[in-house]
Amino acid sequence: MTLASTRTKAEQALSRSFEAVAAELPGGRAIAEARKAAIGTFAALGLPHRRLEQWKWTDLRSALKEALPPAVNERHELSASIIDAALEELAAIDAHRMVFVDGRHAPQFTTQADLGGLEVTPLAEALRPDGSASDALTDQSITGNEAVVALNTAFMTDGALIRLAKGVRLDKPLLLLFARSAREGRLVTLRNRIVLAEGAEATVIEAHLALPGAAAGQTNTLTDVRLGPGARLAHVKCTLAGERASHLATWLATLGQTSVYRAFQLTAGSGLVRNNIFALFKGEGAKLDISGAFLGREVEHIDTTLVVDHAVPGCESRELFKGVLADRAHGVFQGKVIVRPNAQKSDGKQMAQALMLSPDAEFDSKPELEIHADDVVCGHGATAAEIDEDLLFYMRARGIPVAQARALLIESFIGEAIDKVEDERLRVALAQMAKRRLTGLTAAQP
Amino acid sequence: MLEIRNLRVKLAEEDKLILSGISLEVPKGQVHAIMGPNGSGKSTLAYVLAGREGYEVIGGEVLWNGEDLLAMEPDERAAKGVFLAFQYPMEIPGVATMTFLRTALNAVRRSRGQAELTTPQFMKHVREEALGLAIADEILKRPLNVGFSGGEKKRMEILQMAVLAPTLCVLDETDSGLDIDAVRIVSAGVNKLRSQDRAMLVITHYQRLLNYIVPDKVHVMADGKIRKTGGKELALELEKSGYAEFKSKALESA
Ligand SMILES: Nc1ncnc2c1ncn2[C@@H]1O[C@H](COP(=O)(O)OP(=O)(O)O)[C@@H](O)[C@H]1O
Ligand SMILES: [Mg+2]
Repeated sequence: MTLASTRTKAEQALSRSFEAVAAELPGGRAIAEARKAAIGTFAALGLPHRRLEQWKWTDLRSALKEALPPAVNERHELSASIIDAALEELAAIDAHRMVFVDGRHAPQFTTQADLGGLEVTPLAEALRPDGSASDALTDQSITGNEAVVALNTAFMTDGALIRLAKGVRLDKPLLLLFARSAREGRLVTLRNRIVLAEGAEATVIEAHLALPGAAAGQTNTLTDVRLGPGARLAHVKCTLAGERASHLATWLATLGQTSVYRAFQLTAGSGLVRNNIFALFKGEGAKLDISGAFLGREVEHIDTTLVVDHAVPGCESRELFKGVLADRAHGVFQGKVIVRPNAQKSDGKQMAQALMLSPDAEFDSKPELEIHADDVVCGHGATAAEIDEDLLFYMRARGIPVAQARALLIESFIGEAIDKVEDERLRVALAQMAKRRLTGLTAAQP
Repeated sequence: MLEIRNLRVKLAEEDKLILSGISLEVPKGQVHAIMGPNGSGKSTLAYVLAGREGYEVIGGEVLWNGEDLLAMEPDERAAKGVFLAFQYPMEIPGVATMTFLRTALNAVRRSRGQAELTTPQFMKHVREEALGLAIADEILKRPLNVGFSGGEKKRMEILQMAVLAPTLCVLDETDSGLDIDAVRIVSAGVNKLRSQDRAMLVITHYQRLLNYIVPDKVHVMADGKIRKTGGKELALELEKSGYAEFKSKALESA
């Protein structure tokens, strides 16, 4: 039996797509080789499926029925006002902007950050034979053989390469907008890298949005985060990919000594989302705080899977994820905290909670601790609950109409995660965006 | 005027009769006390007036200003002026007390056809009332009732009552768990609200509260029935004799 014969239609189509577009993908010979190797890896692995522990609730092999043609050189006609409208409250945040449309940098919407010590380069430029890209782009040391990462390496067309020099503090957030506009379904593959040298500080927002009229597409995005000693990064991802769209995201973060990584993910209005996060403590005394809010309705599927690796002593990790699931939505949370044998004084806490608005909604969670050191403080938990009827009654007895009481309870539930965002303007913007979607969720309920 | 006529209530999920024919009238401008041993059905009566689920009315009626209270949703009742100060106030994580008060007040004002208050008007109004109840500003910023002491929760109930300005006030054991200073503060808050347009039903297990909130009438409840009605002196009698007289029947029937 040959490999190919056991491959699904989508898997075969991905391999064929690669052959078709390989020549048009950016990069010199070395990159082309890396892409080829990656598609080979993918061909051997296939799409992740439910028999793999990390994918047991998100079976891509059965969920991805077809592979869309890769967006290589899509044409688009857009205006700044369309983009601002799509950004909702994020548009009002004073930020340096870098805009990508259908997997390609759109320089006309990018504002040039003129700041000493900050380098921002579109990946496609860096990949040119004379460009600055290094083999770091194809480094798979953290994830090993991950099919989704392999696909990302094979197909990546563009993204943001950000480097902040030693001690530089970014004056305002950097907003990376990844918009989809293609009227036909396309596969968009993005690769970003955020490198903060020693003591550098930044806020980076990734917004993944569908513009009005965009067809449901597929996205594979990877962001590689490297924090030097004492660096601080606030990293926000806002995923509003659109109905029936699929969105596979990978964050790889390595944290240097005493660095601080604060991450937040808002996910809503997206057909199928897998947010994979791998965080590795490389230097002692570093802190990690990853939180998120996810809102699912209809048959949406939102999966957050993270692995936090305490490879060195004295680091702290916190994760808090809150989801609201309506209709037949399916939420998944898998969180694994590994404490390596020498990683004494590790401190890890993890919590995932879902609010179930419908008896047909589903929440699967697996918080996991793998501890090989003895002097550690680690805890985790997961809950799924319905709206508390007693609380609802209490609020109604105060005159608050039932729909409003529900909305307030749901909002406050989600609010606990959103409150983790330290930047106030950003926190308020995200809360508003979440609230807009909550109204949609609660209105649909009896 | 609150009119309760032969009200019979059972648990919705079980065949357990809790109120076995309550009749009571509280005219506007009056304060009536309901006293009775634990388990006699006082809270059930309060909940049924406020519209809590889990109870089934199998007989009788409740009229408030001539309208059928039992046909209304809980928030409609609040709009009509009904307020229940809970025996066990709920904690609402993530909702700041101020936000909660404002949401409730605006909802009630809207439903009564009144304009919403501006933010400064609202803040001033709440702060004034809070001051009288010795509730610190800092507490108003915290999530409602979360981490509040028993006394703080009870004072918060009275603050909500003062802010929402209801016309039918049902207070369920607002004094339980309070020390004497707190009873005084709470009572002063309640007395301030006594007026010709308000009817109040003060439920308590102990006579002590009624030294401060002096009722027009006292009803003794046991086994889901009003067993005796009298003036304020009835509370003092009960203080001496206890509920033994009423309890004995409960034991016999048990
Ligand atoms: N939701 C309920 N489920 C089960 N039993 C209840 C419920 N509500 C009230 N009861 C029962 O009804 C009786 C009256 O209770 P309650 O109204 O709380 O009395 P009180 O407030 O006078 O102490 C008690 O026996 C109590 O256990
Ligand atoms: Mg009671």
